[in-house]
Amino acid sequence: MDLKTMTEINAPAGYEQPLRRYLLEQLKAIGMEPVIDRMGNVVVVKEGTGENRKRVMVSAHMDEVGFIVTGATEEGFLKVQSLGGVDPRVIISKRVQVGDDKLPGVIGAAPIHLQSAADRKRVLGYGDVYVDIGAADKKEAEAKAPKGTPVCFDTPYVEYGEGYICAKALDDRVGCYNIFRLLAREEQFPCDLVAVFSSEEEVGCRGAKGAAFAQAPDIGIALEGTTCNDLGDVPDPLKVCVTGEGVAVSFGDNSSLVNRNLFRHTLKIAQEQGVRHQVKGSVSGGNEGGVMQRSRQGIPTIVLSVPCRYIHSPSTVCKASDVEDQFELARALLMSL
Amino acid sequence: MDVQKVLSGAAAACGPSGQEMLVAEYFAEQFRPYVDEVTVDKMFNVIAHKKGAGPKVMLCAHQDEISLMVTRIEDDGSIRMGTVGGVDPRILPASRVWVHGREKLFGTIGALPPHLMSAEDRSRNYAMKELYVDVGLCAEKVRELVQIGDLITFNVPSTSLLNGQFAAKTMDDRSCVVMMLCAAEFLKKLVCDADVYFVATCQEEVGSQGATTAAFNIDPDIAIALDGDFAKQPGCSPDATMPMDAAVVSVGPYLQPKLTKRLQECAKNHGIKLNVMVAPRATWTDADAVGLARAGVPGILLSLPMKYMHTTVETIDVNTLREAARLLAHYVSELDAGWEEDLWI
Repeated sequence: MDLKTMTEINAPAGYEQPLRRYLLEQLKAIGMEPVIDRMGNVVVVKEGTGENRKRVMVSAHMDEVGFIVTGATEEGFLKVQSLGGVDPRVIISKRVQVGDDKLPGVIGAAPIHLQSAADRKRVLGYGDVYVDIGAADKKEAEAKAPKGTPVCFDTPYVEYGEGYICAKALDDRVGCYNIFRLLAREEQFPCDLVAVFSSEEEVGCRGAKGAAFAQAPDIGIALEGTTCNDLGDVPDPLKVCVTGEGVAVSFGDNSSLVNRNLFRHTLKIAQEQGVRHQVKGSVSGGNEGGVMQRSRQGIPTIVLSVPCRYIHSPSTVCKASDVEDQFELARALLMSL
Repeated sequence: MDVQKVLSGAAAACGPSGQEMLVAEYFAEQFRPYVDEVTVDKMFNVIAHKKGAGPKVMLCAHQDEISLMVTRIEDDGSIRMGTVGGVDPRILPASRVWVHGREKLFGTIGALPPHLMSAEDRSRNYAMKELYVDVGLCAEKVRELVQIGDLITFNVPSTSLLNGQFAAKTMDDRSCVVMMLCAAEFLKKLVCDADVYFVATCQEEVGSQGATTAAFNIDPDIAIALDGDFAKQPGCSPDATMPMDAAVVSVGPYLQPKLTKRLQECAKNHGIKLNVMVAPRATWTDADAVGLARAGVPGILLSLPMKYMHTTVETIDVNTLREAARLLAHYVSELDAGWEEDLWI
């Protein structure tokens, strides 16, 4: 189990089977008894040692952003829509893998020589871009990639610079990786750890919603990858977190306001244990904290995120030390609950 | 020859315009089994010579690639860039690159994310000045390793698609250099009297400097320029594009009519599909420069259709490449002593 393998598995929203299979195999290998629930979440309960112990759900989503085939042109080019939010400006001239057989494809665009001044400014949307698998015609394209076939970015995992990682799907394989490591440790937590590798976060947090109801936890912790814009033309107030400055603790985002006591408690634990952390500087984005908080009669939640540059692109970037810090803070928090 | 393997190797070699050393080394090695002599000249043109007593023929295709250049290092360590050759900024966001500083650095291209942009800005493409290369280092370290003017090339593996289609960076025009390699291989099986020079030229993307000097040096009787052409693809006018399944010969004032006709007849005789395209003025290929070398060189232009030209996924049909190479081999082998008779009448 390593982050490279995790990011290179294709699991776009709603089509998480390959990652689900991999996690089941890996979890069984460390003696766990994973179950797949009704929403396709992979759930493992690691019992705690305390009396009257809390039930703590820790979730990270398996799915990544990608595409889905919606048809083919007469000439055999595949039409696609995005699964989750992918800015079409980051997909031109990129390589993809189509379907379970990982059929290679590319996303091209008209050559610069044939573009008018207006063409150069105009964004190519999902009606204008196609995945090219080299199919001879519509018939071959439909046979190889029928409507509903998932498509993923094909970008290898690379470590570069001063401890940085560039890969697809870091959002949220970093969280999945850290939950797995929490389970793999021999140490026992005082609380029950309900580990949820969830489905379909990128299309509305559907997996976590079902799991939060089914597991009825006392506390919810989401391990996420969150947007980070610490380079380039970003005014300082919009730099919501910075790579290398530790796990980002949210006070709230577009989907939830975190529980104030749990937020204070988390920061206290981070300080006491010397875990590098930062408070995420704005209300932006949304995640599984929202659906956990609203589950049943309401659940106190907290969100711990790894800052990710170029999130939802084929080349997402995070810093390895932030992944470690997310793990350390989640671990310390579980020990304290 | 395993064409896809040679194409992959060619695409992976670094060779931005003006700094073609490494790709030149690659092609020099590839030509060696098929010719008598291979040299790399001062400009980094690769000149592969197959000696003969007949007319002196120069085939050429360019080996340089469009690329980027470091123009500024920001205080946050990000690197601003300019273009070398016609790079389409639309391909850049989230593309991976190599920054050729004192060390070869991995980088990925970033920009302001959409949720921090106004609706108006989101509805237009990123401009070059808004993009930067992220090499994961602080400014101090970047300034130690990278200088203004250092080159940046694309970092993307090649992709084999269905039906012999092949996508990679630099297929414009390294696929045509590989076409020459295939032609040289075919030519070994034919009787050939011509004195043949296969030239992988440099600096085509910035003005055909390499073809100019190579043609002066070789002083050929006949020139055959090879370059990429626009293939049928979404978003392009059908009038501006050609089908993928056949090479294309250009007709027009910059190209010698009888030599062109000879190619069309040769294709017919050998059952090779060949399409025709009209170039009413300059061809914007090495053909223009070679045609005016010394006292002038009569020549032709053969093109390989490719989709998505000047992106990192330029896509060709390998079968078309092979057939075009077969055509070139026959054409060259059939040039006899009388080739010049009535050339202009």
